[in-house]
Amino acid sequence: MTAPPPLAMTGGLVRRDGREVLAGVDLRVAAGDVLAVLGPNGAGKSTLVKALLGLVPLAAGRAEIYGEPPARFRDWKRIGYVPQRLPMGGGVPATVREVVASGRVARRSRWRPAPFADRAADRAAVDRALKAVGLTASARDSAHLLSGGQQQRVLIARALAGEPDVFVLDEPTAGVDAGSQAALASTLHELARDGRTVVLVAHELGPMEPLITRTVELGHGRIVREDAVREPLGRPA
Amino acid sequence: MSEMLHYDFMRIALVMAVLIGLTAPAVGTFIVQRRLSLLGDGIGHIALTGIGLGLLTSTSPVLGALVVSVLGAVAIEVLRARSRSGADVALALLFYGGLAGGVILTNANGGGSASLQSYLFGSISSVTVADLYVVAGLAAAVLAIIALFGRELFLLCQDEEVARAAGLPVRFLSVLIAATAAVTVVISMRAIGLLLVSALMIVPVAAAQQLTRGFWSTMLAAMGVGVLSAVSGLAGSFQYDLPPGPSIVLLALAVFVLAVGGGSVVRRRRARAVAAGDAVRAGQGAETRVDGEAEVLRG
Repeated sequence: MTAPPPLAMTGGLVRRDGREVLAGVDLRVAAGDVLAVLGPNGAGKSTLVKALLGLVPLAAGRAEIYGEPPARFRDWKRIGYVPQRLPMGGGVPATVREVVASGRVARRSRWRPAPFADRAADRAAVDRALKAVGLTASARDSAHLLSGGQQQRVLIARALAGEPDVFVLDEPTAGVDAGSQAALASTLHELARDGRTVVLVAHELGPMEPLITRTVELGHGRIVREDAVREPLGRPA
Repeated sequence: MSEMLHYDFMRIALVMAVLIGLTAPAVGTFIVQRRLSLLGDGIGHIALTGIGLGLLTSTSPVLGALVVSVLGAVAIEVLRARSRSGADVALALLFYGGLAGGVILTNANGGGSASLQSYLFGSISSVTVADLYVVAGLAAAVLAIIALFGRELFLLCQDEEVARAAGLPVRFLSVLIAATAAVTVVISMRAIGLLLVSALMIVPVAAAQQLTRGFWSTMLAAMGVGVLSAVSGLAGSFQYDLPPGPSIVLLALAVFVLAVGGGSVVRRRRARAVAAGDAVRAGQGAETRVDGEAEVLRG
């Protein structure tokens, strides 16, 4: 028996206000894939990745994470989700390091209290994540005062800190400066080389284009085009 | 100052003020982060019905307030999870119902406006050692919850979807934070009064974040502001025969105004330091730390 794929969807249907945002999508993301989800605004790209993770409920069809429906899936430390933007500003300030460190939460056993956590491992992982996105020097700055691109890097570092096998990134390049795009591309390159699975929602691929192994194009909630571009770079983790 | 320590009730009230000053801003930090600054107000309104029920059934008003406000907080979370738009009006209905019901029930009990006034704006002359034990127990529970679940609650308040994708029990944690806020309202109501209770959750946090950059350092600074304003507000109210709640809240607001002034100075200085640091980094290609703020890192 082969291992179940990291992410899969059969006949995925999502309705919002009576409209079908996702109109029956079949998708299988294999281990080691670097999949780009493309398409115009409103095509359902974000909804698709959220539905894959169970963050948006399906009206019909099913989603599976490593063979389990999201509601029954327990091994969330294997998943790293990077949302579209930092919902910050106002609220309470948080340093870059605090935000990144919160990515370790899924690594902790649910009922193991904070005082008994493995601090050394946490610290090392957070240091690595900050270094990977080039934000080591800003670790103590308030995250909400950074530029849009740097905030996006903070969110990516938060996912990196959890050391997951699967990365799901929702529009990581939207409104991001060239420097941050390059930092993102080099981070993705390392992930791909390590055989991690990456699902990436994007408008345009830019410097990430050479890393993509598969593309899926959405239009009006359906997959209108699927391409296998190149062989995966690393051995699947 | 030393004169007021001759009175038993003042000694008890001062210990209570320290406990309230610590817990209310600690919970408030999460509440502000979740953008629910008015949650405490709503729970305060609902708690009044609990007090009325407690008086009417001649059990304990504190117990009544605790039960009803925790139930109310859970109801608020359920409504919020159901729908964003409908929740707004539903919450308002819950708040008004709680306040109106509380006033009617307190009156029905023959409590009259004097006892109502003491619950709405605080009164400390009647506190007993038994009250103090209850408050201390509840405060310990609130601080323990923050110590145990702080990191999970932090992620939840940052981004609910990411919290869910990290496998956190989002619904449980949301209810936990609302229930903790409800317990804090009950802790603080004796000294500050239900109408102003949430000010001590919010104002110290608003003051602290003028000067801090991190979440945990904001929480610690807010707790400092909370203790400072609760203790000195209480002392001032004893000295000048003022109601304690409004005195505490006005002091906290004064700290906020000072912090806004201080914050703009600190930010200007920091911007200069960062610019200088960038110049150094650019010149040497080395990483330099430019800030001297103690970082509060939690495990």
